[in-house]
Amino acid sequence: MSGLASDEVAEDYKNSLEDLTTNDRFQISNLTVIAKENTEHAMAISRVLENHIRTTPPMQKLPALYVVDSIVKNVGTPYTLFLGRNMYQTFMNAYTLVDSQTRRKLDEMLKTWKEPVPGSLDTRPVFPPEITRGIESALIKARTAALQQQQARSQQEIRTRSRVATPPGWTNSPTMLQNARQYPPNGQAPGYQSTENSYPLRFTPTPQQSQEVDLAALNRDIESLITAARGEFTNNPLDPSVQQRLKALLDLQGILQRQELTQEQLRLVRNQVSALGPKPVLPTAQAVPPIPAVSTPSMAATPAQPLSQPLQQLLNPGTLAGLIKATAARQQPTPPPQAANILPQMPTGNSTPLPATASTPENPLIAALRARGLLPGAAASPSTAPTPNMAPAFPFIVPGQVRYTPPVQAPQAMGTSESSMDVQMNTASIKIPRPGLIASLYEAKSNRCGTCGRRFFATEEGKEKKARHLDWHFKTNQRMAEAAKRAQNRSWYVDERDWIKSREVGDDQGLADAEASGDSAAGADGSSAKRGPPKQWIHAPNDATLRNTPCPICQEKFESTWSEEVQDWIWQDAVKVGNRVYHASCYSEVTKDGPGPAGGNTPIGRTGTPDSVLGKRKTEGTDSPGHHVRVKMEPV
Amino acid sequence: MSLPGLDLAQSSVETEFNPAPPTQVSLTRGSEWRFEVAHGTTVRVKLLAGTAELFGTELAASQTYTFSGTKAAIYTWHGCTLEISAGDTIDGANGGATATGTGTGVPGLAGPTRGYGAGGCQSEYVAEETPMVEYANVHFALETLRQESKATGKDGPRVLIVGPENAGKTSLAKILTAYATKMERQPIVVNLDPTEGMLSVPGTLTATAFRTMIDVEEGWGNSPMSGPSPVPVKLPLVYFYPSQNPLENEGALYRPVLSRLALSVTGRMAEDEDARETGIIVDTPGVLGHGKPGSLELINHIVTEFSITTILVLGSERLYSSMLKSYDNKPTSSASAAASDERISVIKLPKSGGCVDRDAAFMKGVRESAIRSYFFGNPIPSTASAALSLSSASSTTNITLSPHAQQLDFNSMAVYNVAGAEDEDEDDYDPSQLESFLPGGGVNDYPESQPQPQEESTPTPVLPGTTPTPAPASASIPYDPASTTTTNPSPSNENETPLKKLPPPFPTTMANSLLAITHAPPTASPSEVRDASIMGFLYVADVDVEKGKMRVLAPMGGRVPPRAAVWGRRWPGEVVGLVG
Repeated sequence: MSGLASDEVAEDYKNSLEDLTTNDRFQISNLTVIAKENTEHAMAISRVLENHIRTTPPMQKLPALYVVDSIVKNVGTPYTLFLGRNMYQTFMNAYTLVDSQTRRKLDEMLKTWKEPVPGSLDTRPVFPPEITRGIESALIKARTAALQQQQARSQQEIRTRSRVATPPGWTNSPTMLQNARQYPPNGQAPGYQSTENSYPLRFTPTPQQSQEVDLAALNRDIESLITAARGEFTNNPLDPSVQQRLKALLDLQGILQRQELTQEQLRLVRNQVSALGPKPVLPTAQAVPPIPAVSTPSMAATPAQPLSQPLQQLLNPGTLAGLIKATAARQQPTPPPQAANILPQMPTGNSTPLPATASTPENPLIAALRARGLLPGAAASPSTAPTPNMAPAFPFIVPGQVRYTPPVQAPQAMGTSESSMDVQMNTASIKIPRPGLIASLYEAKSNRCGTCGRRFFATEEGKEKKARHLDWHFKTNQRMAEAAKRAQNRSWYVDERDWIKSREVGDDQGLADAEASGDSAAGADGSSAKRGPPKQWIHAPNDATLRNTPCPICQEKFESTWSEEVQDWIWQDAVKVGNRVYHASCYSEVTKDGPGPAGGNTPIGRTGTPDSVLGKRKTEGTDSPGHHVRVKMEPV
Repeated sequence: MSLPGLDLAQSSVETEFNPAPPTQVSLTRGSEWRFEVAHGTTVRVKLLAGTAELFGTELAASQTYTFSGTKAAIYTWHGCTLEISAGDTIDGANGGATATGTGTGVPGLAGPTRGYGAGGCQSEYVAEETPMVEYANVHFALETLRQESKATGKDGPRVLIVGPENAGKTSLAKILTAYATKMERQPIVVNLDPTEGMLSVPGTLTATAFRTMIDVEEGWGNSPMSGPSPVPVKLPLVYFYPSQNPLENEGALYRPVLSRLALSVTGRMAEDEDARETGIIVDTPGVLGHGKPGSLELINHIVTEFSITTILVLGSERLYSSMLKSYDNKPTSSASAAASDERISVIKLPKSGGCVDRDAAFMKGVRESAIRSYFFGNPIPSTASAALSLSSASSTTNITLSPHAQQLDFNSMAVYNVAGAEDEDEDDYDPSQLESFLPGGGVNDYPESQPQPQEESTPTPVLPGTTPTPAPASASIPYDPASTTTTNPSPSNENETPLKKLPPPFPTTMANSLLAITHAPPTASPSEVRDASIMGFLYVADVDVEKGKMRVLAPMGGRVPPRAAVWGRRWPGEVVGLVG
């Protein structure tokens, strides 16, 4: 591994980046030079840059992005390549968190990326157009949505102007000084204000909302979106983001069809749908000035009560980061695992804040809808039944994000063993830490066997399995105590035919299962059932009273015979049921069980231990003295 | 030499050692505790808090695990606290060997030597950097493929692990196996490394379906015994390869055995739904990872025979690049590959920093203890199994096996040896000799040697002999692997077979070595003997040439089955003092 040197360089670079707090030309050019001198570690440096931009306070994002700008313009490849890969996430993340002044600067910077490097002979733009285009169209859509909201709000403000009640907490936000507006205190969730102040642009739901929503049109829009997503899905069936998007859309459609949503809720949905649409809804989108007032770093203001976040805030790209944090905090209080130090060389962009949302049980959109009271509880609504395979679905909210791979797949609802996974078998993919999947080895099965540490699901089925497993331990213990009195030895290995015919019997399978895996050669019951009447036997008991007790059914005594194979005295045609020993033939006669189940009653069949191997050999061997003569018996 | 304390004089260490109080080791999430325990000493480990796993197999909380003669690592995904304490030194079970064996054995391993680490480990430390994330992801990627194969009805992924010695191949195989069984899968694990056995002694190539937990304390676990075992036993299919080096004779002996093993595995896959869905994990000898002449051809043979879909390369850039060139994105050799467009993927995996070189002395110790536990069971008084047991006497609950010693007549044995392996064995193979030889006095007791050929002459395709182009892995061929008696042994095959029948009297050098009892009848041709799976081993205690008898140790009592035997003269070689 050449990782060591790369790690060191990356560490140095990270430290230098952390010193960069202002737009300092000298520092930036210095960092550019370092990057230039270490192009062989371009991947590591790009990763450090992306991480830094993601984690650094909003005030320091601009200088860091300037470093990126300087590097791609002065050094170019391979940095353009590595940084371009996640530029969309990097840029949009930063963009959503900085104030409007910085946004203007970012807009300017983005503009220069579409042009060739000044003074260069190369006529190609700084970044390939597909990268810049994606960012731009996302920005346009965000602005469109913002404009709509602004219009909606102004309408509503007119209506509510007369009621005056400034909720507490408003004044916390500096942006409020310029943007002070009044909100109807009634109808608001209690925790609303505390989270809201950081986001002046959100839409405030009010019952008086009167704007009519054309349900049919909305359905049409969703329909077309679904069609588009389906098309994408057929092209790209393995892409989780596409899957999620399609799933979310279908869910949304289901909600619309089954639920009586109020006009106001429908409007929200419609806004969102139009934002998702392939084309901007407003033809004037290009003319919209930079978003006026989205300014406060929502990263800093971790919503105290995420449950009360308004829908619009959840849906708006501008608060994604906050949402992610909130979801993470809500669902898994523990900090994200050690993603940082084993962070793969493969840059993951803004996907890494997510690892803690491992246990998201359903689509956050639906969760959010429900949390806001827009949807009834899960039980009441068939359309919102927990969707097991749903990873956090926020990628579909951000338009234009095509190749998003969630770093963490939400594990399924507990109890489903058929959890679906999607990990590609390639060198890059296996470097991505997936703590969520580790949970499928550990937390998903919370029911542990105290003796051997085996895990079971905490479901009814799991409990049953565990009970059988403990039963196995118990039986084995009993047999071990018994066996300690006798000499034991290694069995011969089976031959090819027996091995192929054999089936592993787990230690958690009950009688029924063992029977079901019927043609087992490892299980004496299975093979003997196939080979005609079983020759059942047990070790002759050491206890004198037991030895003299006759078969309770025929009242005949048992005959001890020496078995060469087992190297012990055995009772032929005997079966132990509870504390009593019966002739197997008598017993099966009485119970009318037939040979199979009776055979299963002996410890042999249940434990899948070597006795079964011998037991089977016994069944062949008792008829003919030389058991090596294999009397060939075709399976019935 | 990565074993501190190994070269120390036995006496001084022994007398000066005082059992230290138990040490606690705290692991942060994602780190592992690496430890080395010498042969003859034991270390006890108990998980006090958190979760921990040893090569993928999870440890139970507050159970005591006892380790001996091992170099391993306990990893934690969530953080944990371990308690390490010194166990007993093993004298009883080991004593015979070490006491008498020191004279001729490797001096470094003369007796139980304790290290100075916690609990008497020779070396132990906590490591923060591990490749476990990658290894786990390989498992998840395989799991993805398994789900796919379940949905589409294809065969599950067949994984080949290649790399040089001490790169962690077997550990990776264990991790993948343990995780797969944890997901209630049933992989077939194939060990192709004759230097180290899986569920058997070195010199064996094995295939085993794993459904139950891997034994934490004892490598892979135990093969069936007459008594119960606290950890479910595993049922291996075992072939004997009496050499350490698969490349020997340009693989003339290795390849056919390999093909035969692959055929059996394919047969099992065709019938066993669980195994088919889960697929195969193949562990290979490290010697194939060096790019020696012939090794790439042998890898190609393995890839073809097992229809490998995924090649994991550990710790060798060079091997990775050549694997990438030859296999990446090429169609697999499975019969359905053309239809389903199944393609091979080649993945490079980092070698764990915990991989240490295991020197010849250590490997010899591993070998001896594997052979010893084949006959005598687990010598370690395991407190974990004691806790499981209902009886209070803890020392009696370790599985002690009782092999049977007996005298065998030279004439009752049909022993084969690898040609050229022996200086005094110059006489060429003579087919007539085979005919003239009849198994000694015992022939009347075993009438099956006559009827068997007829019985077994059902329409069974003869295994393609030494020709390296057998029809690979097509599940549709009705294959009956039990028919070790081929109806038309082709003479050309026999001539190429390096196995030769060894006429009595047997040389005294046979003492202290192993005889592998095959499933082939004593009258079988050398190529049949070569291809036959084995029943088990005899240990030759001594050879009396004058009386024409030898004293052997058999795993169980009763008559030694009248089958052809293969002498493991050079490999697994001499084990001195197994019986006193």
